[in-house]
Amino acid sequence: MSPVRAQATRTRSLRAARGLPFVLPYLPFLVVFGILPMIYALYLAFTTDTGDWAGLGNFTRTISDYRFLPAFEHILLYTGVWLGSLIVIVVGLALLLHGRANRVSATFRFLFYIPGALAGASAVLVWLFMLDPSVSPGSFLLHLLGSQLFVESIAPGKLPFVFAMIAFWTGAGGWIVVMYGALNTIPHELEEAARIDGAGPMTVALRLKLPLIRKWIAYMTILAFATGTQLFVEPQLVNQASLGLVPDTWSSNQLAYQMAFRYGDFNAAAAISVDLIAIGLIAAWLIVKRTGLFRTGD
Amino acid sequence: MSRGSAPPRTSSRRLRRSVLALLAMTGMVVIAACGGSSSSSPKPGASKSSNSLTVWVDAARLPVAQAYVKAHPKVHVNIVTFDGDGNGATTMQTKIQLWNRTGGGWPDVVFSEQVNDPVWMAQKPFEFAAPLKGLIPDDLLSKWPAPSTAQCTINGMQYCVQDNLAQVVLWVNKKLMDEFGYAVPKTWQEWAALGQKVAAEHPGYIVGNIGDSFGHWIYLWGNQCPLEQSQGSKLLINSTDEHCTRVAGLLDPMIKNGTVPPLSVFTPDFAQKYGGAKDKVLLMPGPSWYAQALFDQTLHIPAGEITAAPPLQWENETPITTGQVGGGPWIIAKRSGNLTGAADFVIWATTVFSPTGKDARPGYPAYAPLADKWLADLAGNSYFAADPTPALKAAAGQVWSGWTLVTYPDQPVWSNTVVTQLVAGKSLSSLMQPFGDALAQAAQASGYTVARQ
Repeated sequence: MSPVRAQATRTRSLRAARGLPFVLPYLPFLVVFGILPMIYALYLAFTTDTGDWAGLGNFTRTISDYRFLPAFEHILLYTGVWLGSLIVIVVGLALLLHGRANRVSATFRFLFYIPGALAGASAVLVWLFMLDPSVSPGSFLLHLLGSQLFVESIAPGKLPFVFAMIAFWTGAGGWIVVMYGALNTIPHELEEAARIDGAGPMTVALRLKLPLIRKWIAYMTILAFATGTQLFVEPQLVNQASLGLVPDTWSSNQLAYQMAFRYGDFNAAAAISVDLIAIGLIAAWLIVKRTGLFRTGD
Repeated sequence: MSRGSAPPRTSSRRLRRSVLALLAMTGMVVIAACGGSSSSSPKPGASKSSNSLTVWVDAARLPVAQAYVKAHPKVHVNIVTFDGDGNGATTMQTKIQLWNRTGGGWPDVVFSEQVNDPVWMAQKPFEFAAPLKGLIPDDLLSKWPAPSTAQCTINGMQYCVQDNLAQVVLWVNKKLMDEFGYAVPKTWQEWAALGQKVAAEHPGYIVGNIGDSFGHWIYLWGNQCPLEQSQGSKLLINSTDEHCTRVAGLLDPMIKNGTVPPLSVFTPDFAQKYGGAKDKVLLMPGPSWYAQALFDQTLHIPAGEITAAPPLQWENETPITTGQVGGGPWIIAKRSGNLTGAADFVIWATTVFSPTGKDARPGYPAYAPLADKWLADLAGNSYFAADPTPALKAAAGQVWSGWTLVTYPDQPVWSNTVVTQLVAGKSLSSLMQPFGDALAQAAQASGYTVARQ
């Protein structure tokens, strides 16, 4: 090993050693609730209920299920709407806030963050009222959108947008704070230099700040994609609240749930879960490749 | 850089070693836990001592469970409330799968709002329900009406007793009908004609509704539409049978003119538009438990207005048949550690519990001797404009038996293929084919061989 490379390896291992205490408290949880269940799901997905090797049998069986394609269509449309609005609006708002005076932006950051403090299920309950024209404080908006009744607010065509709105409302605030933090890492001198060179606020925001927080945006996209494709609580609760008007297999995760518990087919459920892991991993890999998320030293 | 020079490598190695040790330990704990559950044979349910019982009930059955506790101070009863599997929910299936998989935790007694729940509870992969023979004396069991016993009998064995009968009758707002000078319809045709008349003469008033998850049980079951009919080893699902399409054709103009809105009676929208002070429900085909649970307690229709008329008849066809909405059963868990106690609870809840007045049971008791008592109390109830009991009693024996109970819930299929589309303005007639297709898919996914003609 050349001395230079040896030095580099040493530096890296030292960095890792310092990071470990921070990761350590999380590791047992990651193993017990993340990695082991994933391995168990992989095992189930490739075996039959008696434990024999099933090959791709569980996968082909679930793909040919009549609910599989609609569930994935719903999820893709929902994730598309949600990711699009998340990236554009969150980054836009963070950039806007970053240009404001400190006190103003702190107030707004707090305001944006509040809805995120509500846990997923309770946020859905709030929205069940918001979407019901007979009790909603925003009923005039619902009327404008053509909903006179709750059943019209949750018409099948509107659902991906409704769920995206709920997810955005609860999730965006936290990301705005993260993006704001990312913007704060940009050295002040850079901004000043750009100003001296004649760049206006728009140019600074779009040409300087945006490229510098690219990796944070990529990070947000990966996480948001994964949570988006795993949508469960929102459609499940709306299914119950609408007395069954929304199918209980609206999202692919719900389909996996039904497979496991209605039919006792845990292998099929695991196969759908593995499909979801695969989609998430592929998306993450693409984003990492395209944005150079883990590239260091540039 | 000064950062790179400091901590010695040994500390990082030690740290890594401790992380590995931690991982190995958590792994071992998890493996041990998994191994423990898979190797042990199923243990008896929650109640190991003969003096304790775990009972799962819906909100409407909570008073029964509480009354049992009061009447039996020595028995320790753990009451758990759940959604009762209402609207075809699969709560119980989830729970039973988990109990079966972990080999413990089963309750002793369960009440379900779904009359078909015992069908899957008695079979693989659930195998939850205990056969009642030997648990409840035969002479008691014989006092349930034969059609009720038939609904609880799966592969020749009785697995449940129905709490109540949920026969569909025609609910009538006598005060409004008298005021408008209308005669109570006897046939579906007269009812439809009255709907047209109401739309023209008293717009805003309704003669029924079709937005509930059980709308097909009211309109299609009673009219002998073969949507779930066991035929040997096959299940017949023929949604385009004449018995189905003729009802759809009858309902379409009424859905369009607003006298049969596609709205659920349990939504705030419905209560606001037709309930309480507005008092716009003129007629409503619906189950026996609508009596007070819906008109009085949910819609707050004033006393002295509502009564029941016999179920509607198709032209002059006989025998008259009607639908059923609910008729929830009590089920004893096969794995209960206290089968005697569980049976005692079920016997008490179905044959003894009978408060009167405003605490009266919400539904028509399935156990015949109790039904007589309940009807006598209802006949004297001042909420009703006229005695509703003759109609309820007559309809009890008219539930069409050509509708086979199946393992899958059909309510969600009706809700999301028909109701959502009715709301969007489609006609019921145009939805019968897609409804049949969706039911067939649900049936096939549950392992049925389906015949469509």
